[in-house]
Amino acid sequence: MTDLGGLFRAAGVTGFLHAVDLDTGAEVAHGADEPVVMASVFKLALLVEFFRQADAGRLDVTERITVMADRHTPGPTGVSAMADDVTMSLRDLAYLMIAVSDNTAADTLVGRVGLSAVNTMLAAEGLDGTWVEHDCRSLFASIVEDAGQEEMPTDPATISRLRALDPARTSRSTPRDMTRLLGMVWRDEAASAASCASMRRLLGLQVWPHRLAAGFPYDDVAVSGKTGTLPTVRNEVGVVEYPDGGRYAVAVFTRSYGTAQNQPRADAVIGTAARAAVERLRG
Amino acid sequence: MDLVRHLRYFTVVAEELHFGNAAVRLGMAQPPLSQRIRRLEEELGVRLFDRSSRQVRLTEPGRLLLAEAREIVARVDRLRDLAGQGESEVLRVGVTPDLGSALIAALIAGFRDRAPDVRPAPAEMWSADQVIALTDGTLDVGLLRHPVTAPGLSFGPVLVQRPGVVLAETDPLAATSSVHLADLAGRQLVLFPREPGLHEETLAECRHHGFVPEKVHEAQTLGLVLAGTAVAFGPQVELPGLRWRPLLGSPLAWRISTAWRGAAADAAVIFGAVAVGVLKENAGMTDDGVAPARRVRARPASGFLA
Repeated sequence: MTDLGGLFRAAGVTGFLHAVDLDTGAEVAHGADEPVVMASVFKLALLVEFFRQADAGRLDVTERITVMADRHTPGPTGVSAMADDVTMSLRDLAYLMIAVSDNTAADTLVGRVGLSAVNTMLAAEGLDGTWVEHDCRSLFASIVEDAGQEEMPTDPATISRLRALDPARTSRSTPRDMTRLLGMVWRDEAASAASCASMRRLLGLQVWPHRLAAGFPYDDVAVSGKTGTLPTVRNEVGVVEYPDGGRYAVAVFTRSYGTAQNQPRADAVIGTAARAAVERLRG
Repeated sequence: MDLVRHLRYFTVVAEELHFGNAAVRLGMAQPPLSQRIRRLEEELGVRLFDRSSRQVRLTEPGRLLLAEAREIVARVDRLRDLAGQGESEVLRVGVTPDLGSALIAALIAGFRDRAPDVRPAPAEMWSADQVIALTDGTLDVGLLRHPVTAPGLSFGPVLVQRPGVVLAETDPLAATSSVHLADLAGRQLVLFPREPGLHEETLAECRHHGFVPEKVHEAQTLGLVLAGTAVAFGPQVELPGLRWRPLLGSPLAWRISTAWRGAAADAAVIFGAVAVGVLKENAGMTDDGVAPARRVRARPASGFLA
């Protein structure tokens, strides 16, 4: 049996993992109830509440909204990286928020959905370890304030002061809470069946190949998920679907010892640890 | 004693040099065969086989008598043929050697239950050889792998076998619960000889899934696998030094059916029915058409348009 702690150590990270067979409930846990920094993984909770409000008729997913160029939240992808005003539907903003982790798209949806509604939903579902503290704009504002600089810091001393990296003072969750939320989406329990199908589709359109998906490099295996990245934080939560029908929700949260911006070993161990956990569930 | 019958047993054991294999060929159990050979030795007053070592060997007197015994058996067969009344109807059956002795024995036992008047004469032959023998008329019914190029042959119901992969126990993949074809990249592959259609289909499916064997060996045994040189596909085996693992998603489907030329004799029809039952019950094969369709799950990062 693969030693998950050893895998994480060898990759230079502390890892927290929960994997569950969506059909049998069998699980693999490694620090699965520890509080972890969500980073962009919070967009999964936002996505769920967005579709619940659509189911309740409180918003129209096809409503077109214009995001002004001077209101873009910083970010390297999607609308955040675009130069001009953008008009698109709410559900297409949800697509960009999941597919490329577009921060502007996420904050626009937060403006519609409300963070308190997201937290109310999480509490109602008994996801007690999960709390969304801020949208992307306030998250970055706290980093800039703590670091005293606009760029993402790589200096260890600076990084150690960031509130954004302390689960007690930022958006937090546990690996087990995230696999539960994913299980609800995959079992049509998080919202209406049609909305859950839309969420599954969006999570399957996420573009990043270097984390969870890297552990399952097969044409007939589907990997859907949402990443989260901050200095020293590399996360992904998602669902892996095997050609024989096996479905596994996996949540992997890591904190690297190193502070470099590029952390290929941390990215890769998310895939290898997830694979080892799924192997154990299938073994 | 029926000397001719005992001499026939003698010739078969002499050909196989293995009592178990000879018993399978004769469609009987091993203990009575050994007993009859002993009785023949008593009758002739010589030892025909040396059983002292692990291998069965012909003794010198055995060697001398073998040619004579063959002659007698052949002459008696000819006599009976000429008299137009063979001792009993014989069904010449071909089976692929990889089915294994237990399955072949079950096939023969099942057939004898259903058709006690017909003597089955099984022979191990690969599919390409069975096609030749069926066409020549030297085989009545075959149990062979598809696809085969065989104009004029008819086939019974097609069953599907879903092979796994056989690895050396030292292979890192032996630590996993199942193996994806793509995981085998860079390895060499052992395939059965004389199965051209099966080779082509199997290799095409391997390429499809990202496994292009570095080299393809044709071999009947798993020696190269045991040596860690190659991997092989096949049904579950438990052998020292080897590990069998299922293939993820069951991508390979090996099809097998009975085959015959012209109108099927009653005995061939019975054998076909027995074969379907035995292959389903003892080898876990399933009816054709239940194979799951292969589905490529598109990912944005690896999609062709990305």
